Amino acid sequence: MSVSAEPTIVLADVSRWYGNVVAVNGMSFSVAPGITGLLGPNGAGKSTLLHMLSGFLAPSAGTVTVLGESTWRNPSLYRRLGLVPERESVYAHLTGFEFVRLNARLQRLADPDGAAMQAIRLVDLEEASSRACGGYSKGMKQRIKVAAALVHDPQVLLLDEPFNGADPRQRLHMMDLFRRLAADGRTLIFSSHILEEVERLAERVLVIVGGRLAASGDFREIRRLMTDRPHTFTLRTTDDRRLAAALVAHRSVLGVELLDGRLSVRTAQFGAFARAVPEIARAEAITVRELRPTDESLEDVFTYLVNR
Amino acid sequence: MIWVIAHLTIRQLVGRGRTILVGLLSLIPIGLAVLYRVGSSDTVAAEWTSNVLLEGLVVTSLLPLVALVNGTAALGAEIEDGTAVYLLAKPVPRSQIILGKLLGAWLVTSVTVLLSGLSAAVVALGGLGSDRIVLGFAVALVAGSLVYTALFVMLSVQTSRALLAGLAYVFLWEGLVNGLFSGTRLLSVRHYTLGIADGIVDIPPYFFEAKLGVGTSLVLATVVAVGATWQAVRRLGRFEIGETT
Repeated sequence: MSVSAEPTIVLADVSRWYGNVVAVNGMSFSVAPGITGLLGPNGAGKSTLLHMLSGFLAPSAGTVTVLGESTWRNPSLYRRLGLVPERESVYAHLTGFEFVRLNARLQRLADPDGAAMQAIRLVDLEEASSRACGGYSKGMKQRIKVAAALVHDPQVLLLDEPFNGADPRQRLHMMDLFRRLAADGRTLIFSSHILEEVERLAERVLVIVGGRLAASGDFREIRRLMTDRPHTFTLRTTDDRRLAAALVAHRSVLGVELLDGRLSVRTAQFGAFARAVPEIARAEAITVRELRPTDESLEDVFTYLVNR
Repeated sequence: MIWVIAHLTIRQLVGRGRTILVGLLSLIPIGLAVLYRVGSSDTVAAEWTSNVLLEGLVVTSLLPLVALVNGTAALGAEIEDGTAVYLLAKPVPRSQIILGKLLGAWLVTSVTVLLSGLSAAVVALGGLGSDRIVLGFAVALVAGSLVYTALFVMLSVQTSRALLAGLAYVFLWEGLVNGLFSGTRLLSVRHYTLGIADGIVDIPPYFFEAKLGVGTSLVLATVVAVGATWQAVRRLGRFEIGETT
């Protein structure tokens, strides 16, 4: 992907397999400071990739470097690296404050109590900090995990599905926090299978499908690719056959089909088609009773990106 | 750093549901000692205490079971529930993580078996006695706790079925195989523990006699504890957390 600053994370031809199963396949990219979204359907290989970036998994082939150092078997790197794991589990018997302070102590910070309180303040969890983590809601656990990852002020922050379980207000608060951290020159990578989350937060995006890097770069460019992929719409009108004949002549339409009393239209230009339908229907004096896109899963969208 | 991790481990082990099970187990020797005192028995108190109570029950069953529960849970439970990430994603040498876990589990195990075994011995003997049974078994239980715990902590980073492997070691290897083939006692923590106790207690051999000498027991116990800890550090250094765990 194109970057304006020096990359902090570099993957060179990285693969990871478990027996016969390839989880990550020949992936190469670099990431500069700022927020990068790791987008892909469940099981795409996002967690495996984050585990390799975190130094918890050895690549079967290739090299993974963060801040110029190999991540595998390199605990000293964790002084500059923060991690928010996907799993909800925290030490249930510790209070939120004790949990974050434990992380500060393990980082050998000079003032673990002060650092813990500051990190808890960042995630807006002061009021609950004296309660045991075991009684926290899912969203609160996410926030205390973020506080624990931030307690040593890392340069690189890896977040695996950080918004899971967070309510909209908490989500906005965390997004603001991540933006501030990125503005200060830190590198943040977060994974998500929700397009809207990535759209709202990430400046750059890596799309992972089936263990491969399907697309990478500026989010708006990838969003355009996704929008301009072939779409199929079904229509119910007062005269399906006549509208089909009129639509097929339009440049945005790839094909039409009349099936089971419905008109099915395939287009590669979402915007142009959306504008053409009412114009053509009006010109032909046809009433459009229903126009709906066929349901496409996120997997279909990602698969399109891989195959294009 | 070792103490920070040990303190966390102690809080984890004491706060778990298994604590109740361990607590109930540790009451059994005390209950038996009370029964021995109130009932009529032809056996000499020193012989019954060393042979039946401490060797037959505390060293053979209570010590390995308590060590198994604590040793496998100290790090194994964190690996299982995912909280191990918070320890592993820190600039802490893996040797310190293992030593902290070992220290925490060893302290909890030692305190549990000492409280149970020695209270029971004092009840059965009607006091501390004059033949160093309490002292000998106290030292042996602390040493045995360390070796067993080191072994079980190592198993917990080696396999996800550490509890099963530990039970097989205690009941099949030490309980069955050691009885059938005397040479295998050289690989038995139970026999090291009894050997150390025998080196300190001052009672006739027909009351209590270990199968291994105190010197051999001390050397082998040290070798096993150090070897298991070294292997656990080595294994944790290569430990992978991924979708297969």
